[in-house]
Amino acid sequence: MKHKLTIQLSGSEGAVIRALGLIERRGFSLGKCSVGEADSSGRVMKVSVSSTRPGELLKRQLERLHDVFHVELKPAAAVKPRTLGIRPVTLKEY
Amino acid sequence: METSTQIAPKLRSGSQILIEALERNGVKQIFGYPGGTIMPVYDALVGSGLKHYLCRHEQGAALAADAYGRVTRKAGVCIATSGPGATNLVTGIANAFMDSVPMVVITGQVPSALQGTDAFQEVDIFGITLPIVKHSYIVRNVTDIPHIVNEAFQLAQNGRPGPVLIDLPKDISAGMGDVVYTPPQAWPATDLPDEEAMQAAAEMLSQARRPLVIAGGGIAISDSVEAFRQFIDRTGLPVTTTLKGLGVMPADDPHYVGMLGMHGNGAANHAVQNCDLLMVVGARFDDRATGHLAQFAQSARIIHVDIDAAEISKLRKADVAIVSELAPALEGIRPEQTANPGWQAQCAGWTKEFAWRYDAPGKGIYAPKLLRDLSQAQPEGLTITCDVGQHQMWVAQHCTFNDPLEHISSGGLGTMGYGLPAAIGAKVAKPDATVVCVSGDGSIMMNIQELATLKRYGIDVKILLLDNSALGLVRQWQEIFFEGNYSEVHLADNPDFAAVARAFGIQARSIKEPEEVSDALEWLLNTESAAMLHVSIDSMENVWPLVPPGKPNHKMMRSNP
Repeated sequence: MKHKLTIQLSGSEGAVIRALGLIERRGFSLGKCSVGEADSSGRVMKVSVSSTRPGELLKRQLERLHDVFHVELKPAAAVKPRTLGIRPVTLKEY
Repeated sequence: METSTQIAPKLRSGSQILIEALERNGVKQIFGYPGGTIMPVYDALVGSGLKHYLCRHEQGAALAADAYGRVTRKAGVCIATSGPGATNLVTGIANAFMDSVPMVVITGQVPSALQGTDAFQEVDIFGITLPIVKHSYIVRNVTDIPHIVNEAFQLAQNGRPGPVLIDLPKDISAGMGDVVYTPPQAWPATDLPDEEAMQAAAEMLSQARRPLVIAGGGIAISDSVEAFRQFIDRTGLPVTTTLKGLGVMPADDPHYVGMLGMHGNGAANHAVQNCDLLMVVGARFDDRATGHLAQFAQSARIIHVDIDAAEISKLRKADVAIVSELAPALEGIRPEQTANPGWQAQCAGWTKEFAWRYDAPGKGIYAPKLLRDLSQAQPEGLTITCDVGQHQMWVAQHCTFNDPLEHISSGGLGTMGYGLPAAIGAKVAKPDATVVCVSGDGSIMMNIQELATLKRYGIDVKILLLDNSALGLVRQWQEIFFEGNYSEVHLADNPDFAAVARAFGIQARSIKEPEEVSDALEWLLNTESAAMLHVSIDSMENVWPLVPPGKPNHKMMRSNP
């Protein structure tokens, strides 16, 4: 299951690595990740993660960190049916 | 030109500011070991109001601070230098993290300008400990010290407690600053328990036919023993405890069915597997408690009460969750009726059926009986610290505790070497208690150097060393699960432990025969200084029952297959 998280966190030393470390340690693979400055005292981190574990659990584990102010968990986006660019063939054609 | 009215700044070193901040946070005793980068702090320590206990290895200092924190519910403080001093603390920090123990850890660090250059005794202790601290700091300004120390204590002690690390570069500890100490701001109050959730829990308890409560270590941590006992008196619910919940219920209480889990009591494991409602209070579904998780209490709905929201539905989905301090939740859950005489009789029947027996065959000293005798020899005012292994499980099974703080055991991390430094921390925190360290011949060697700490400060700790000339619990598993293929577990070449103790200036006796036990225990408990009783026991003795790995709790083995 894939999840997207927006994490508001402090600008203090180690805050980003603390949050990222927690995500992997708790059994979530990191996909995309971006970190930007939110304001003078904080940062905002956007990550996409995947795991068989519930995203809600990761949210609560992140919220437990003193450096983390707020976590928004977006419901996993419905996975679009993907085609491989191969035209279906019928037995007859084959 | 400066005016004559200008007040000259009162400059003090970062170390002096640190010591003041520790004192202002109520610290009286600290455990540590000096070294290069922490020397400015040790310089400021001289003449301060802090009593420093020099342990003989930093791990000993961290584990002593851990036990001090458990017993006082205030952060134990340990301090060490950078590099190896800091890395030697790591096991103690992890121990405190796994068991939710309040601790403040102060490490020296190389000067800021040298950080990141592989300087002598430089190690990134901040990075190394990220997974095992509740929070951590690297101090960058002398003027930040009071605020950081205040916050560290508040974080360590509030909510779900844990260890907090403060890494202090030498240019900060030796640097000068003009700082006026300001007390910490009040910590925000915890949310009250949700009324609807408490109502739902009460209804579930009223409707359940076979309800059971698991009491965990959180009850001791949050000082909720009295509230818990009142809840049980009011509801009459049967209770099991985790390892860390031992002592929450008096051992002879009719509602109490014993400890559950891998080496738990049969009554507790049968009750938990047969219940239809499980109310879990301050516990976290640890795998040693649950056995095979998917088959754990399979027919039960779950009420989970905990201060840590991240524990809810982590391993077992909660049907009702109450995230708050435990005492107000226990006071607020008021089921209309919970009495089910049939279920209570069933639990009482299991308790009788699985009562411990002490009539083991064999000629040597039977450790479970010895430990029961220890509890009976001094039923009040006895604190037992444990190491890790067979003796730890026998203590959990056969010693009786009137309060959870009488049982100091490394639960989550399972740290061999915990017992002796933990006894030091417990005795320093509770000088009036009789503190007995129950250890094994494997574990005692992991921190044997702390015998010197006992001697140095005249710390009156009693050591009961159960010596089976083996790494007993590993040997037991090799016997049962590895077809007796014994690999690196025999310790027949152990030193003469009594002679080792005497070499450190600690009185010691050795016994081998059951008829010597009574006199020897009396000697141990009544000797007016630190003492060791070294007890030789059968190396093939096993801990029963045992829930094999991957099996549900009711599939206990009760003897060798």
